[in-house]
Amino acid sequence: MATPYVTGTAAVPNGTYQRPERDLATDVLVEAVSAAGLSLGDVDGVYMPKPRPWAPQSFFSTFLAHRLGLDLKRNLELYTGGTSGGSAFRAATQDVREGNVDVAVVMAVERASISDTDEYFEYILKLFDREFQSPAGPSIPGIYAQSFQRYCHDFDVDRTDVAEIVVKNRENALENPDALFDEPIDAEDVLESRRISEPIRLYECPAPCDGAAAMVLTTETDADRGDSPPVEVAGTGYHHAPSHWLGARGRDLSELPAAGTAISEALGSAGIGTDDLDVFEPYAPFPHVEAILTEELGVAKRGDGVDACVRDDEGGLPVSPSGGCLGRGHPAMVTPLLNHLAAVRQIRGTAPNQVSGAERVLTTAEHGHTDGVNATVFAGGV
Amino acid sequence: MTADVPYTDPFWEALEDDRFLIQACEDCGQAYFPPAPVCPECHADSVEWVESSAEGELYAFTKQHQTAAGFDSPIVLGTVELAEGPRVLVRIDADYDELSIGAPIELRPVEYEGSAERGRLEDRPFFRGFLA
Repeated sequence: MATPYVTGTAAVPNGTYQRPERDLATDVLVEAVSAAGLSLGDVDGVYMPKPRPWAPQSFFSTFLAHRLGLDLKRNLELYTGGTSGGSAFRAATQDVREGNVDVAVVMAVERASISDTDEYFEYILKLFDREFQSPAGPSIPGIYAQSFQRYCHDFDVDRTDVAEIVVKNRENALENPDALFDEPIDAEDVLESRRISEPIRLYECPAPCDGAAAMVLTTETDADRGDSPPVEVAGTGYHHAPSHWLGARGRDLSELPAAGTAISEALGSAGIGTDDLDVFEPYAPFPHVEAILTEELGVAKRGDGVDACVRDDEGGLPVSPSGGCLGRGHPAMVTPLLNHLAAVRQIRGTAPNQVSGAERVLTTAEHGHTDGVNATVFAGGV
Repeated sequence: MTADVPYTDPFWEALEDDRFLIQACEDCGQAYFPPAPVCPECHADSVEWVESSAEGELYAFTKQHQTAAGFDSPIVLGTVELAEGPRVLVRIDADYDELSIGAPIELRPVEYEGSAERGRLEDRPFFRGFLA
């Protein structure tokens, strides 16, 4: 079994782009391979989320392979909501470990700017149970609002405190030149922003935007050829509880048991414990999710997650120093790779809000209120 | 061989008579919703249709201000925990401000007025939650 390393990386800042997905994807793929000190002819595995339904180009992976003349042992395009980029990365990691490919490129692209509202809502209704749920007209915030409410109810959490997680992430984003937001906000701004699905306000929602990112995974043989130090993928985990929107069967809406299981698997396969982590970059599209994830990780007791997310003393584990979904913006197919990129940068010492001496970083990716989670541990100094 | 009839048809037929069917496992006793031919708890395939009370408590709820085209806006959306156990996502026919977690809710059939595509069910009633 080979050890997989992230070597070359590339990303465009989150924003709005006129250039189509094919160009953004080509840019990041070519740049990441170049940054890895390799050539396109070396690439034998490509892994990506399927671009969203409103992207004009389907069969994107095969289109791209043909466009760039890639002759691939593995070409994987998958779609299961927000965790797709995480699952693509995990599949690439496994293939590199097992020697099925030598040079894997994991990439993602999204242009939220080209979808119109009606098209988007029609797509969302398809995700719910078509017979028993979709006719009620639910939305994504309509579901997260319920887990937000339940979390506050179950653990006597003041919802105004939850807004501080948004404040913290927006502040972190000020240092991140790739983030969508570049102005600070305070809790009052959050609580007075437009009502979306009560209690959720606009600033508590992840902002859809355009983005693209790519990372090259390779083995020790080629790991040092890149322009930046290689970062080891030390452990991966995944779990999906029997859950589709309304929480896992038999469990409460204020918990994410699959996150706990996936994180345990990733930490276990990396041979470390929670206390060994230096940074946590979770997939947290809404602030209460970030709080619950710190509880599933075990750095906070049930109901104490908000404090764990916003504390900035040396005794705490920094959560979303990159700004996360709420500070960076959220091109959903790309977000898992942006979390991975944040982890890689922390270990390389080049991250915004750099955590001194960061060597072990945990990321998560989530389908979208279905408690299906990829967890990844990145390690440096090994 | 199983007849080529959608598995959930008995639910929709019963709803026409104001009956809200759920399913129960004959092996482990678990009651569950939505309907499925295997028990999601123990995976036994000996399951039966059961008429529920159609009554439960409001487990969570929201006032959703953005909805799909052709739907009312805003809507009150909630999750009702039936007395028998299963949780059901429903529109609630009540003002957001008059609701609280634990409020008693009844599920009743309604003529469907939203714009979701329902295919073979388009002329069938749907269901909604009402304050009991």
